[in-house]
This record gives sequence, structure tokens and C-alpha cells, in this order.
Amino acid sequence: MTYGDGGGAKKAGKKASAEESSYNKPLPRATLNPEVSKPFWDGTKKHELWIQYDRRNNKFVFPPREVSPGDLTPMDELEWTKVSGKGRVYSYTMVYQSVIPAFNEDVPYVNATIQLDEGVRMTGNVLGLTEKQKTNHELRSNQRVEAVFDDVTPDWTLVKWQIIDDEEPPAPPSKE
Amino acid sequence: MATEYKKPVPRPSVNPEVSAPFWAGTKKHELWLQYSKGSQKFFFPPREVSPGDLTPMEELVWTQVSGKGRIYSYTTIYQPAMAAFAEEAPYVHALIQLDEGARMVGNIVDMTEDEVRNNSLQINTRVEAVFEDVTPEWTLVKWRRIED
Amino acid sequence: MSFRGEAAIIGIGELPTQRTTLGRSMPGLLGDAARLAIHDAHIKIEDVDGIITEGGDTYPAFVAEYLGLRVRFATGSSMMGASGATGVALASMAVMNGLANYVLVCIAQARNPALGGGAEGFPGHGSEFDFPYGPAAGANNGYGQIYQRHMELYGTTQEQLAHVASNQRFNAQGNPNAVFDGQPITHQDVMDSRYVNYPLRLLEVVMPCGGAAAVIVTTAERAAASLNKPVYVLGGGIGLDDFGGMQKPEITVSPVARSAPIAFNMSGYSPRDIEFAEFYDCYTILESMCLEDAGLVPKGEIGPFFESTDTTYKGEFPINTDGGQLSAGQPGLAGGFRHVVEAARQIMGKAGVRQIERNDLGLVNG
Repeated sequence: MTYGDGGGAKKAGKKASAEESSYNKPLPRATLNPEVSKPFWDGTKKHELWIQYDRRNNKFVFPPREVSPGDLTPMDELEWTKVSGKGRVYSYTMVYQSVIPAFNEDVPYVNATIQLDEGVRMTGNVLGLTEKQKTNHELRSNQRVEAVFDDVTPDWTLVKWQIIDDEEPPAPPSKE
Repeated sequence: MATEYKKPVPRPSVNPEVSAPFWAGTKKHELWLQYSKGSQKFFFPPREVSPGDLTPMEELVWTQVSGKGRIYSYTTIYQPAMAAFAEEAPYVHALIQLDEGARMVGNIVDMTEDEVRNNSLQINTRVEAVFEDVTPEWTLVKWRRIED
Repeated sequence: MSFRGEAAIIGIGELPTQRTTLGRSMPGLLGDAARLAIHDAHIKIEDVDGIITEGGDTYPAFVAEYLGLRVRFATGSSMMGASGATGVALASMAVMNGLANYVLVCIAQARNPALGGGAEGFPGHGSEFDFPYGPAAGANNGYGQIYQRHMELYGTTQEQLAHVASNQRFNAQGNPNAVFDGQPITHQDVMDSRYVNYPLRLLEVVMPCGGAAAVIVTTAERAAASLNKPVYVLGGGIGLDDFGGMQKPEITVSPVARSAPIAFNMSGYSPRDIEFAEFYDCYTILESMCLEDAGLVPKGEIGPFFESTDTTYKGEFPINTDGGQLSAGQPGLAGGFRHVVEAARQIMGKAGVRQIERNDLGLVNG
């Protein structure tokens, strides 16, 4: 069985540059609908976090979809909205053995679920832990984090997360 | 030559080891089928258990059969699924009931285009296996009409 | 409307779980498991008039053809590891409504690198939004996160959950079908095993294997005449959660929180009546959260429970008496089905050296 065709980069007709080929970890590969998630990746290239917003139900939606989950609001009513990029660690695992060989150079590293202040959760790596913090598994749920943007190739920018000190309460979803 | 044969060769996808004796037989221009000691019957395609009585693999015996049978039914193909067959259309794609009981799929060779177009082939026509070495690796079973 | 007591399992078949099933295919394994179940049920193959398969690679029309069955009821049950347990619920509904008299539920997993296998993952958002961040293999990543959160929310410790693995390994020493039969481990061995991804240690993670299982489900009326002690299906619920799980309201709660109340209501029994449990256990943490969600242990108290309870087949509350998937091996799609088969085996009194004494009422999460 095969699922999808290699995703957004291929669809957009981009060619792998020398620099791109030196990045040996997986790039985002949209298997469901590359068109729908394109604004997300366009946003990360500008070092901005953009998420679909379902105005009818006043909630954010992630990953990008053609209908909003739970209420099936149609795509034309889902508005791409720039969000704060701040949130909290919901949970995490410290990876010692990755399914993808290229990541095994980096072990152990943090693979976390981040709860954005806007409500949705995203997967990502939390950066900046010391070796001692990693060894002792010192990261805790609710740790405040902020998105940072990693231009891993000329075509792709991944969202990662750094620990921050702000203790602002989570902002409610915007009514605006 | 393998490179000249454009049509699909057999691609065992369920269990190549189980059907290997069948294809080893066709290479020798012999027809070998599994025989179930449990139900005392031949069956096809090859399996790890015999259908209907689930006799386990170790009690299934590969046995050479007569290679004779009858047309059970057939269809005349004008529009093949695969492009490589297009130049031969129309042609007959038949179900053969072997004298030993099992049924196989195959083409009827030695038919004129008129015979094919007039659908002159009759059910129960006696046929016999012929073997076509389509590549160095693969020999297909086809069928020709006989008088016996 | 319910199927309480309307249907029963009267025959079981299980192949030994193996690291690889070289030379074997899914339908071939199904044939062997089906034969064992049909013989165990003391019925004729021609009596089987219904079939339930996983429905993906082993779609019912092909399996019925391969096995030579002439059925009047057939369907797939495509619920991944839960396909077999779901299939038993579907079979119960079928026989009580007259769609069939004897339904064969059969699930297999071939594991043969030469024939390829399901290493490509499932269609979904993973390849776009998860893979770039280096997940651990398969479900390890998500269960690591669930484990970490359960520890923080409830004070659960790795020492506590290591008992799940060591107790079940003890049970597997009484199960010749278990891949780890003959390889006992201690609690300390679990704690000493390396991290795959914190907090998951290697011996808390299931090992992928091949195998197959089958059962025969019939009406209570026909079951009453069975030579086996009928294993009546008293209640069942079929829950489902997000596959990715990223956006679940609370990742430490499983769909058992929704399916178990349905099963208990249907049965007329409550969690305190349950004598033993056969629970899906791809990871120590998954089994633990499901035992909580079924109401067998209050939410958040699974750690102290395992610390203070002997859950071996010799203990006061036996769990996964055949070693579970952690110690018998996980035969892929048939993984959860093994729990159904073991529960039936215990109720029939056919569990040999690992037979439990209080064996009338069990709870299965497949």
C-alpha cells in the first residue's frame, strides 16, 4: 500500500537543493491534502505560527483540516489566523531510540505535546535542556514554552519550542 | 526472451513458497496440483490448508494430474484490462474444469479469429493443457481443444 | 436490547505466537487457527455459516474462498488490535438476530520480512506533523507521553508499573504458546532494561510477532448442547478514540471509559464482581490506564494496586494469565484477540498449569 505521493514540496514543484539534501531527517510530507496545510508551512517560513480558526464555534483547529473536528464547519469558514506561539508542555517523552535513524545522533531528545494558549495541541521538540536536565528527566508538564522556527532547508521551516519564563495565564480563544 | 515478453508474468502475492511447486511443474511442462488426503480431492489455487476441510499443509500432497478437462465457461475479451493484451483482442479467457475436479483460468489457443468473434466455443468442450515458456523463468498453462 | 447471555463462545483456537512466521501467509494461518477452533467446538466445518475477519488484507470474501467456507453472514472488523474482540461482539449480534448459527471469528498476523509487512504506517497527519520531530517507533512515542503524564498527575512510578511486566512474564512460563515461555524475568530486570523512550523501558514494550487465533460463536441455545463449558457473552461495548491522540481531551483516559460502562450495564454485573481480567497490554501504561477506566481500580490508583496485588495466575486478582501480549508476544492484528481466547480458555477450564480457580466471570479488553 502507498499513501500519498510525497506531499507539498513535490506538488509545489520545488527542487531539492544541495543544502536541502544535507538535512537528513524527515521533512513534512502531507499525505492527506497538501493544499489544506500549505498556509501553515507558508507561515513557518515567515517564522510565524498560523492556525485555522473556526469562528462559528470560536475555536482553533489543528492539524489543518477540510472541516473542523467536532462540528464539521466547512473549510470556507475556517480562517487562517496568526497565533501567539506561546503555550505549555502538555506531556513529553524523552526519546532514546528513534524510529528514524537520523534522529539517533541526537538522542536523548524531547518529543513533546505542546498545548497552545489558543487551545490546540502540537507535536514538537523542546530545545535547550542541559545534559543533566535530560538525564534526570527534569522537564515537567505545564512548563511555559514559545515557538522558535528552524529553517531546516530552503523550503521547509519546522516549529520547535524553547522554554520561557513568562507566567501569563493562557489567553482564551479570540472572539475577534 | 524475458525482455520481449510485455504481459504480466505470475506474481505470487499470497505465499510464493506454497505455489512454487506448481510453477516448477509448468517449467517441466507438467501440471501439478495439491491433493488433500483429508477430503480426497484436488484443489486450486495452492493453499496452506485445503478449502472446505482445512486439512493442514503437511497432509497436502503435490500430485501430477492429467492436464485434461472441459470448458466450464468462458468470456471473449474485446477490451483487456492491461494494455499489453490489446493487440490480441478479441481472445478467449476460459474457466477449465479439470478431470480431477479443480478449476483453473486460462486462454484457449489455436482458435481462429472467426471462431473467437462468433463465440463458437461450447461449454464442455474437451481441452488439454499446453505449456508456453513465456520467459526463461516462467511457463504459463494454456489450453487447446482435443477430440477425446 | 442487548446480547446478554444470548450468545456464547464454544470453541477456541490459537497458534503459538512467534517472532516470525516464515513461509506462512495470513489466510494460511487463519486456516490453521480456524481448524483448531472448529475442532475444539466439536462442530463440522459445514456448520460454520458466518465468518468475521479483520477485513483489510484478510477480507472476508477472500478468506472464505481460501478456506472453502459457504457462509450466509460475513463482515470485516477493522479495529486494528481490537478487531477480534470487536468481532466477537459483532458475532454475538449476528447469531442472536438469526443471521447465522455458527460464526467463525478469525484474525491472523503473518510476520515474514520476505513478504513485506505493514511498516509504512497509516494514512493520517503523522508524516506531516509528527515525523519531522523524531518520534520513537510505532506507538512508543504516544504511550511514553501518556506514561509521563500519568506519573505527574497521579504520582505513578515506574517501579509500580514494572510489576505488570514481571507478573505477566511469570504467567507466560505456564503458556507454551508464549514467545517468552522459558525466559523468566524479575522486577529488577524490568527496571534495569534500557529506555526506548523515557519513561518507557524496553521490557514494558510489546514485541511484534506473528500468530493467529479463532473462536466459534453460536446462540445460547446451541451452546447449551456444547461439549465445552459455554463461555457466555454477557455484555460488550466498543469504544474508539482519536488515532493520533494529539488533541484528545485527556490522554491518560482510554476509550474503555466509554465502552466498559456499556458492557457492565448490559451484563448486570459491576467491576467488583469480576474475578479475573484479560486486558490489552501493548505497554504497561496502556493496560494500567484501561484497568482504571474499566472501574476495576480507581483512577490514578493503579500504581499502588500493582504494588500490593499479586496479579499472577496464582494471585488474588489474576490479570493476563497467559502472559498477555507483553510476554506471549503481540501477533499484530490478532493481538487483542488473544485476550478473548485466554478468557474463554480459563472459563472452559482448559488453561492447564495456569488454570485459575475463580473462573466464572472475567472482563476482557481486547
